[in-house]
Amino acid sequence: MRAMAGYETRTRRFTRAEYERLIDLGVFQPGEAIELIGGELMVAEPQGAPHYTAISKTAKALETVFGPGWVVRSQGPIRLDDDSEPEPDIAVVPGARTIMLARIPRVRSSLSRWPSRASPSTGSARAVSTRGPACRTTELLNLIDRVLEVYREPAPDSASPFGWR
Amino acid sequence: MTQAEGPGLRRWTRHEYARLIDHGFLDEDDPIELLDGLLLVKEPQHSPHRTAVVLVAKAVERGFGDGWFVQTQSPIILDDRSEPEPDVCVVRGSPRDYVDSHPTRPALIVEVAQSGLRIARGRKAAAYARARIADYWIVNLIDRVLEVHREPVRPGPARRHWGYAAIETLGADATIAPLAAPSADIRVADLLP
Repeated sequence: MRAMAGYETRTRRFTRAEYERLIDLGVFQPGEAIELIGGELMVAEPQGAPHYTAISKTAKALETVFGPGWVVRSQGPIRLDDDSEPEPDIAVVPGARTIMLARIPRVRSSLSRWPSRASPSTGSARAVSTRGPACRTTELLNLIDRVLEVYREPAPDSASPFGWR
Repeated sequence: MTQAEGPGLRRWTRHEYARLIDHGFLDEDDPIELLDGLLLVKEPQHSPHRTAVVLVAKAVERGFGDGWFVQTQSPIILDDRSEPEPDVCVVRGSPRDYVDSHPTRPALIVEVAQSGLRIARGRKAAAYARARIADYWIVNLIDRVLEVHREPVRPGPARRHWGYAAIETLGADATIAPLAAPSADIRVADLLP
């Protein structure tokens, strides 16, 4: 089949504001694991036992290391930019928990995502912020190879899905 | 109902799609169609595309005759998560038979494709085959041929594995008779812009 220039499969994108309105309107199923990444509504990875165990062990370890003044959030939404609101497995954000209840945090110092089945490309797409270096450190606990991948110093990269790596 | 398909794009049901329209997320004029749960952006309508749509509509309307009607770029219902808007389709009966709900089983679907040729042969063919559309044509504007897809089959277990077993490519000098109107004699040349 000959290669087609230009138009490929494109789907309707959503802004973060639209996404939050969809949630408020109750359009999604209760408990549905979805997140907005670069304007695309993604279904989150189903959680197996190793995934769940890794999250709780990591949360505990990070809470100890960061100490007071930080909140370790598990699978809560964070506002990355105008068209991204992912729910990382772990996010460490400054501030007390009482403030977090009132609003979705915008600033985070560390993001962690633990894909056990996701392909490498999915992993890297989710490891970057979509519209620039919003996040200083991203860690990816790779359950396939049982290693921790640490991403620091966000830099522009035209070859990456969102222009950053 | 959302099927678990692992990480990937969230799929929409027809019911949810209707709610998106009701709440103003999608406008009726937006170039969007729901195909297999995905909100696909439709191929941009260049003049050759629009011309071919009009030509095809005229030719099949003449070929099918009474007892059928032709609709262009209007919604049909395939299943609980597909509500595409094919360029041309031929439906039994009269338009008033479908006042309360969209047609579900057109006798013929025709897509005009230029930049969207890959989708017409891929995602759309799979969705139409799965809905047992017996006769699916693609007016291929790049090679100026008509691709006739027949005999929907499912060679694999996945939804996307549906496809057509008999695919024939006809040049401008050929003629074609729709399966549901076997006595019609439509010249491929009459479908090309």
